[in-house]
Parts: sequence; structure tokens; C-alpha cells
Amino acid sequence: MTQTLREDAERAAGALPPLLVAAERLSSAVSLGVHGRRKAGIGESFWQFRRYQSEDAAQNIDWRQSARSQNLYVREREWEAAEAVWLWRDATAGMRYHSSGATTTKADRATVLTLALASLLIRGGERIALIGQDRPPSTGRVALNRLAHVLIDSAPGDAALPPEAPVTKNSQAVWFSDFLSPLNDIETAMKRLARAGLSGHLVHIIDPAEQDFPFTGRTRFESIEGALTALFGRAESVRDGYRARFKAHGEALSTLARRMGWSYLAHRTDKSAQAALVALYAHVGGDRKKG
Amino acid sequence: MSLLGGLTFSYPWLLAALAALPAIWFLLRVTPPAPRRVPFPPLRLLLGLDAPEETPARTPWWLLLLRIIAAAFIIIALAAPVIGENKAPVTNGPLVLFIDNGWTAAHNWDDRQSLIEETLDAAARAERPVALVATADPQTTIDLLDAGKAERIARELAPRSWLPDRKGALAALAKTKFAGKPEIVWLSDDVDHGDAIATSEALAKIGSLTVYRDARGKGPLALEPEDATASGYTVPVLRGDSEGARDGLVEAIGARGERLGGGEFHFLPGKSEADAKIGVPPEVRNQIRKLTISNEHAAGATRLLGADARHKEVGLVSAINVESEQPLLSDLYYLERALGPFADLHKGTIEDALTRKVSVLLLADIGRIAGADYDRVEKFVREGGVLIRFAGPRMTENTDDLVPVKLRNGGRYLGGAMAWAEPQHLAPFPDASPFRGLTVPEEVTVSRQILAEPSVELSERSWARLSDGTPLVTAAQRGKGWVVLFHVTAGPGWSSLPLSGLYVDMLRRLMDLSSGVRPAELARDADASFAPLSVLDGFGEMHKPSADILPIRGGELVRATPSAKHPAGLYGAEGAEIAFNAANRDTLLTPLPELRAIMQTYAGATTIALQSPLLVIAILLLLADAVLSLWLRGLLVVPRLPRGLGRTAGLFLIALVLMPQHSRADDAFDMKAALDTRLAYVITGVSDVDDMSRAGLTGLGLILKTRTSYLPEAPLGIDLDRDDLSFFPLIYWPMDPRQKELSPQAISKLSDYMRNGGTLLIDTRDRTLGGEPNNSPGTQTLRRLLGKLDLPPLQPVPADHVLTKTFYLLQTFPGRWEGGKVWVEALPPAEPGAAPSPARGGDGVSPVIIGGNDWASAWAVDNTGQPIAAVSSGSTMQREMAYRFGVNVVMYALTGNYKTDQVHVPALLQRLGKEK
Repeated sequence: MTQTLREDAERAAGALPPLLVAAERLSSAVSLGVHGRRKAGIGESFWQFRRYQSEDAAQNIDWRQSARSQNLYVREREWEAAEAVWLWRDATAGMRYHSSGATTTKADRATVLTLALASLLIRGGERIALIGQDRPPSTGRVALNRLAHVLIDSAPGDAALPPEAPVTKNSQAVWFSDFLSPLNDIETAMKRLARAGLSGHLVHIIDPAEQDFPFTGRTRFESIEGALTALFGRAESVRDGYRARFKAHGEALSTLARRMGWSYLAHRTDKSAQAALVALYAHVGGDRKKG
Repeated sequence: MSLLGGLTFSYPWLLAALAALPAIWFLLRVTPPAPRRVPFPPLRLLLGLDAPEETPARTPWWLLLLRIIAAAFIIIALAAPVIGENKAPVTNGPLVLFIDNGWTAAHNWDDRQSLIEETLDAAARAERPVALVATADPQTTIDLLDAGKAERIARELAPRSWLPDRKGALAALAKTKFAGKPEIVWLSDDVDHGDAIATSEALAKIGSLTVYRDARGKGPLALEPEDATASGYTVPVLRGDSEGARDGLVEAIGARGERLGGGEFHFLPGKSEADAKIGVPPEVRNQIRKLTISNEHAAGATRLLGADARHKEVGLVSAINVESEQPLLSDLYYLERALGPFADLHKGTIEDALTRKVSVLLLADIGRIAGADYDRVEKFVREGGVLIRFAGPRMTENTDDLVPVKLRNGGRYLGGAMAWAEPQHLAPFPDASPFRGLTVPEEVTVSRQILAEPSVELSERSWARLSDGTPLVTAAQRGKGWVVLFHVTAGPGWSSLPLSGLYVDMLRRLMDLSSGVRPAELARDADASFAPLSVLDGFGEMHKPSADILPIRGGELVRATPSAKHPAGLYGAEGAEIAFNAANRDTLLTPLPELRAIMQTYAGATTIALQSPLLVIAILLLLADAVLSLWLRGLLVVPRLPRGLGRTAGLFLIALVLMPQHSRADDAFDMKAALDTRLAYVITGVSDVDDMSRAGLTGLGLILKTRTSYLPEAPLGIDLDRDDLSFFPLIYWPMDPRQKELSPQAISKLSDYMRNGGTLLIDTRDRTLGGEPNNSPGTQTLRRLLGKLDLPPLQPVPADHVLTKTFYLLQTFPGRWEGGKVWVEALPPAEPGAAPSPARGGDGVSPVIIGGNDWASAWAVDNTGQPIAAVSSGSTMQREMAYRFGVNVVMYALTGNYKTDQVHVPALLQRLGKEK
């Protein structure tokens, strides 16, 4: 009974799931660094004065400016409309993997990055949404909490790729995954998003073991679903071959992203999440400034 | 090579399997070790990757070698290698094993058993017919068996608790027809038994004879009948040969096999007898069930102790003790001498004796058991005690009714100067008497006795008579117990009975009456029959008797030695069991003389079987192989050393740092509590309540400092689970519904605290105790928390209670609230007629004071000394009264009943003045 009581109390007090807390901490650390830049481009700031036209609302007239001359001027601001950012995080079973070299699973790292990015964006006044959720992009604390609950409570499924779902035009997409699906499928999904008018970013989450292949000796590799296995008498003998393949895979992804005008970011789970977040935010923020 | 020279294999053909080792090598080589399993998400990328080298994974050569060696060991072990001489059969004729399996063979039975096994193994290989003759097992005919069957029978063969009957076995063997001249192996017990030479000659006539005997200094040992001493037992130990010194230990064993005492024995060279003195504490003496030579494991080295060996608790009371101070102990002296070796005696008054829980009470010449003692003795007898009374001058007149028969007043003189009759002799004991079987010595005469009134039951109640038929000992059952009367004195004044051995025997029998045995069962004459209770096997272990063991006659019990019909053991009724031991005073352990035959000694196992050690080595190798395989597969995590070491060292450091700190914290609390007398409060776990308690006791402490000679330090909060309460004279305990349930340790701590003189001031803080319906939260908490405590009966503080007078004169006990009742331990009611005392207190302080006025809030002050909480009336007077109550309570807890006694000072001074 105390268990349920405590849970109720936590829920009532709005206690955040630990991952969300981690994400918040992460995003607040980042925001300190880019604070000044971010304020400059949000849309509050002045863009230009323009002559009043009859369709303009009277309340938009800048009376001080108008008083200096004969004409009425309307004050236009930069970026009146906030942009929507569509997020997608791969939740397949393979994402729940971490090797002995990493402390968190790929899924956890992806979730933390997703939430931290969302938190940053919301603080910057953007709207966020999760692809496949039947909700328009929204902003504010509520949106972040909703996102956190969806991401954290969702059981691992086999949805590696973002589903076909309506998205708002001229938005951005940020896709966190280990991108171990066939390249063709990834390309199809990216094209579908691009057709819907989204430009985007791929964040490739990599477990250190996946990149370094530290295995030696007689080893049977099993897929996470357990369906496929590969047996090597001496795992170290295929290390170079595997590394080459993995590198090629990453390059292929990167090329694909560049070709589509997307950005590509590789992130190892044994590295700091903060570095990845800074880089990622620079990409997303840079895109926004461009647009 | 001398070691390997004696290496033989029982199944040499199995060694051919060694040829298969290369095949095993090959098979093991191609079987790779199982791979380590690793989950790997990007498996798709691995698929289709080809390892550049195609050589299959190999088991490392050293692991392979390990396995091959293990396999070789198993094969060699299965071939059953044996080191030692291989007894090649002399002939192919029949083999006779003539085995002494009395208890004399039990101590070395393993050697015999292995010799039998080896011989039968050899016989089995040569397919010789075998006859087994066990001399202690009565046999009428002897069958020739094949060796395999003989081996099965031989495995069942065990030593018996009686001596072998070689003559009977020889007679049976003589009737057996053999195809050829048999080879006879006599596995003797190395004891002559008086017929060794005759036996060897008879055996030599039948076939070629080999005799085995014990090695020097390894012959059997036996325990002869023990002597009870004041501090335990002295047991003579007997050995066969008398060569060299030999030491050992005799142990006293209780009913559950526990060791109760022991004594060593040392055989000097040339001596075949030694004494072991066993010392046991008197308390455990009666628990001894047997004496046994440790590590001997033979029936003869075990002495069972019967019921008569157990000491009874006996009370001795003489008229002298009761009626005069003169140390005239002659009656008691004879009783003490007679009973001393087998009973624990308690002298003194009847009351003394009965409080010592005696089972037998002896009264010498006590005419009337007076007053309360009569009731005690009557109860004692009714509940199963045995009362044995002796007549005397005081019994001649007017005795009480705790006697078996009605007595005639006045004694009867026989053989005095003025008497007609001669002193009388004793008649043989009647059948129903427990004395039946005891021999009546001629010289015992009775010159004076007390006579019984003739009655119907007189004859059946008489256990001993004089030759003229007048009763000497009468007895009657009362309730569960017995009343026995000797019609003569306990000393030699009236008869010479106390001077005879019969006196001792009679008293001994009577002691057993207290075990609840029927008197007739105590009799041990030749015709009495005793059923077996438990029997000994040859190794000296007790067993339930099997159905074919017959009851033994009393006569046999004394004379006979154990036999197959009557094995050694305990016989008789439970509580009066008689020990029938394997060895007795007649036992002789003379070793075998030199015989005209091949003489050999049991040399332990002459051969060493290598099968078991080899198998053990093979299993260890396979275990090592398993560990190594696990390691190779990566399933065995061997932490990298520096890291692992660091982690372990870290843990150690943490433990080292944490543990002393913990105890240091406790010590600090104890020191703090012990070095100053402090006020204390119970930490309820509810912070506002605890803060108020602390502030309240601080405020009260300030008042105490300014007004009294008691200077309390800052109050301490007590965790009931953790802290020691014994330092605090007074503990304040506010009741709060939020407080958690008490742990059992806390409850027992609290009751210890209250029992040992501490005072709990319990504050329900609701002013409802008494008067109003008391189901307020505070009261409910009080019930919940203290329901399990053992509280004394309570009463509201009476007007004359010492609590109202310890420092201030008070009649109300306000706190933050006013008017609630305060409860203390109920005082004993004032003695009617006593002068009204100005103050009453119990003996010591009330362990608990319960009220509901929220005293702590009234006392509480903040850091600047200003009161924290308002009192209910708002008047300064109420707070002042609350402080006064606090001072009174602390003084009450600190001074105890000293203050109660102070009220008597004027009266005492006045009395002192008067005396001057």
C-alpha cells in the first residue's frame, strides 16, 4: 500500500522520471554556453520597419517611429512563427544493448538526447512533436512532459523507422537511431520525410563495442532477437573486416544524409552526451537561422 | 621398482582400453570448445565476413593432455590395481574360515573384515568352495558355499556381545564333509579362552591350518566391574598381553551419548591390569549410562550401569535434629555409612530435606511428625516419595498415622536381663517382598522391636519378619508413594541388623522404590525373571532387543556370562534395570599360546587398493578441466588483477573506516549519557514533537539549575531501538499518533528499564485521561504502543503520594493544559489503623507516570529563554505550576523513596530524644 501511495505522491508532485531529469540537467548545461546567441534570433527582436498598409492592424503601428516622419510605420519582427521540430527515436530491442565498455544502453542515450534537445528547443520557444503521435507540435512544459512519458513508457518495438504519419510542412526532423536497418529502408524513410517538406538530422548512436569490435577468441555472435547467429573461431581475425564494414556503413549514411541535404552526427555512448547535444543543437539551430 | 614390484591388477584385461587413448586424443582434438556467446546488434554487418584462417578452433594441447591423463587414470583405476603381496592360492581345495567373532574380536574388526574379504577374493578367483564358521554364532551345520555368496554372508558378519563357543563350532565343522583336504584359516581373537590348544589340534586334524592373531600390544581390552567412589568411579581395565606400556581413556557416557567425564589408565610393562579413576561432578553422576574405553568399540570395553548405580537423592532426618541440639548422631551414622556410596544424602530438618527434592526420605526415630511437617511429608508420599522410618524409643508411644501398619504402644524386649525370650533371628523373606533373594545372615539378631497390631493386611504388608513371625519391615502404599517402617532403630541399639551387609542391601533395594517400580520387581532372587530392555552388540552399541532374546533368570544374571540366548545388555523393568555386562570379574584375556600351526598377525590391510585414490585423482583432474574450460569460454570472470585488487582494497578501506565510526558514535552517546545525569526524551520520529520535547526538557533543565542542586546537562533524545536506556533516571515520552510501532527489542528494553527502576513520564498531550471518554489520538497511541508492555496497576495520584511533596507541595499537575488526571503505579493500600502518614510512596519509584497535560510545551523555551508555547489559561501561574511539577517529577525520579522516608525524620528525632 505504501508503494502505491508513494507512487501517487510522486505523480502528484510531478516528479520527473530520472531520464527526463538527466535530460534537463544536460540541456541546462548546454544552454549556458549558447545563451546569448539564442536570444538574438528567436523572433522577439526587431527585423525591419515597413510602411503601414491598410490590412495591417492598428496595434502593430510603431507610433514612436511614425512620429518621426509623415508616414505610419509598422514594426516587423524576425521569425514571428516558431518552427516545429519533429523527433524520432528508434526503440527496437537492439537499441537496448550496451556492451561492457559503455554504461548506458543506446536507447537510454537516445532518449536522453531527445529529451534534452526537446527541452532546449522548448526553452527557445520552438514547438516539438514526436513523429507518429497524433498531436500537432506544441511547446511548453506540458509538451516536454508528454514527450518524456511517451518515450520512457514505450516498450521496445520493432519500429526502427519513423512511421508514415502526417507532419507539418517546412519543419525539421531529428532522427535518433543506431541505423542498423538496411540503408535502402533508411533512404526510403528519409525521402518520405523530405517529401513531406522536412529537412532533418540523423544522430547515429553507436555503442563502443559496435565500432571497436574488441572481441577475441571463439565467439558466437547473436542478434538481439536471437534469430541470427554468426560463429567465429577467432573473433579477432574478422575485426578489420568488420571495422571496415562498419566504417563504410557510417560513411554511406553520411553520404546519404548529405545528398538529401540532411546533417549526420555520429555519437558513441561512451562519450559525453553533452558534446553530442551541443553539436546537434548547433546543427538544428543553424538550420533554423538559415531558414 | 620395489614398490611397483608388488603392483597387480584385479582386472588386467581392462588395461587394453589404454590402447584407445590415441583415439580419444583424436576425438578431443577435433571437438572445439564451446564458443563464448555475445549478443551483438550489428550482426548483419558480420554476416558473410569470412575469417581469413580456416583452421578449426583447437583445444589447447595442455588441456587435451589433462583430459587424456584423466582418462588414463580412470582406465587404470577400473583395472583395480593393488600394491602388496598377492596371495596365490596354495591348493584348489575347499577353504574354511574359522572366525572368532566374540566381543574380544570387536576392537580390531576392520582388520579381520579386510582379511576375510581378501581371502574370499582370492578364493573367488580360484573358484574354491568356502565354508564360513563364526564361533560366536551357534551353528549346527556348515554349508560349503561359492566364494561370492560367502562374501555376501561375510559382509553381514559382526562381532557379538558374548564370547565365542569354539567347541560348538568345532563340533559342527567336524560333521561337514569336504571333497579334499581343506585349507583352514583361523581368524582368532587372540584370547586363549582355555581351549585354544584343543581347538588348534582339532582344526589341524581337519586340514592345513593358518592362525591369525592380534599384533603385539593390539589385543583386546575389557572393563571389570566398577567401584563407586565419592567422586565418581574406579574401573579396573584388563588386557591380554602384558608387554610394554599401554595408555587409554575410559569415558563416562550419558543417555544421549554425551561425554560426562573420563579417566585415564596406564598399563605398566608386565602388568595386565590397570585402574581408571573417573571423576564426574555429582550433578551429572546419575546421568551416566555406561562407561566405555574410548576408541575400543567393543562390548567388553563397555560397562552398562544399571539403576542401582544411580544415586538417589535421600533426605536423612533424625529426632536429634528436631528435638535437641545434642550431636548424638549414632542412628544417622549407620544410615550414612550404608547409603553413602550410592546416594546423595541431605541432612537437616524435614523441611530442608523436602525442599532439596529428595526422592527418599529417611526418618530415624521420629515418633510424631509435627504440624506443617506432617502435611509436607504426607504430600511428599502421596506424590510418589518413599518414606522410610525407623523405630526408636520415641515411636513406642503415640505415633502418627504415616506408618504402614497400626503399631502397638510400647516396645518388645527380647533377650534382656529381665526378658524371657531369646534375641530373635530373621526369617527368610516372603515372596512378595522386594528383599526376596537376599541371603539372611545367621548372626543378625533383634533384641528389641516395635510390634504391630494384628490385622488382616499385616502379613501382606510385611516385607521382612523375625523367625517368630513378628514383622521387622512393613510397608504400605500411600498414593503413588510408599511408607516403609523398620521396626528397629537405624543404629545397632535394638538389633545387629545395621551392622550386617544385609542392612545395606535392604536399603539399596528400597532406594529403587522411588523409581515407581513394583516392590516385587526389585527382588533379584534366582527365580525372578527379567525381560531384556536393550542389548549390546559386539561393538558396545545399544540396540532394541530382538524378539528371540529370552528373559533371564535372576540366578543366571549373577552367575552366567552373556551368551547368544542372553546377550549383554540391560534387563528388568524400566527404572530398576539391571546391567548384564559382557565382561565380569572372571573374564580372562590370556593371549593365545604358541600353536603348532602357521601363525600370522593381522597387519591391517596387507595390500593397498589403488582404485579409490586413482579415481579421486581422475575426478580432480576432470574438475580442473571443467574450470579451465569455463575459463576458456569466458564464462568464468577472472577480474584483471590490479583493478580487482583495487576494488577489494577499496571495500576493505570503506569497511575499516565505517565500522569504527559506527561504534565510536555509539560510544559517544553512551559516554555523553553516562558522564552526566541527563534528562531524556523518546524520539518519536515526528520532528515537531521531538523539537518540542527537546525545548521542554531544556526549559525544565534551566529551572532545575536555578532552583535545585541538580544541574542537568542538555537533554538527550533516545532512539528506543538503538540506545541504551539504563543511563537515564527519567524519560519523557510524548504520545503522537504518527509514531511508528515499537520493535520487540524496544519493548523488551522498555520493560527492562521500568523493572530496573527507571521512570517513564508519558504525556498523551490531550488532557483526556480519566473523566472524558478516553479515545483521543494520544490515548489510542498510548494503547497501541504500550499495549504489549507489562504495566503495573495504575491509579490517579493520591493526595498523599510522595510525588506531591518531593520538592514543592503540589496538588495539581498542570502543563500546557490544566486539570487532567495523572496516573502512577498503584500504591499498596495504607495499613488500617496506621497513623496517617504525611506522604506515601511504594517501594522505589513508580515505573511510569502518565498524564495528558502536554508538559513539554509548557516547559519549552527557545534559545533566548523565552517560552515557546502559550499555556491554556494564559497565566504565568500555570506555567510556574507546570515547572514545579517538572521539578517534583525529576526529584521523584532521582531520589526514589528517600523523600518518603524523610517524612519520618521528626518522629525518629523524637524517638531518639526519648531514649536519651
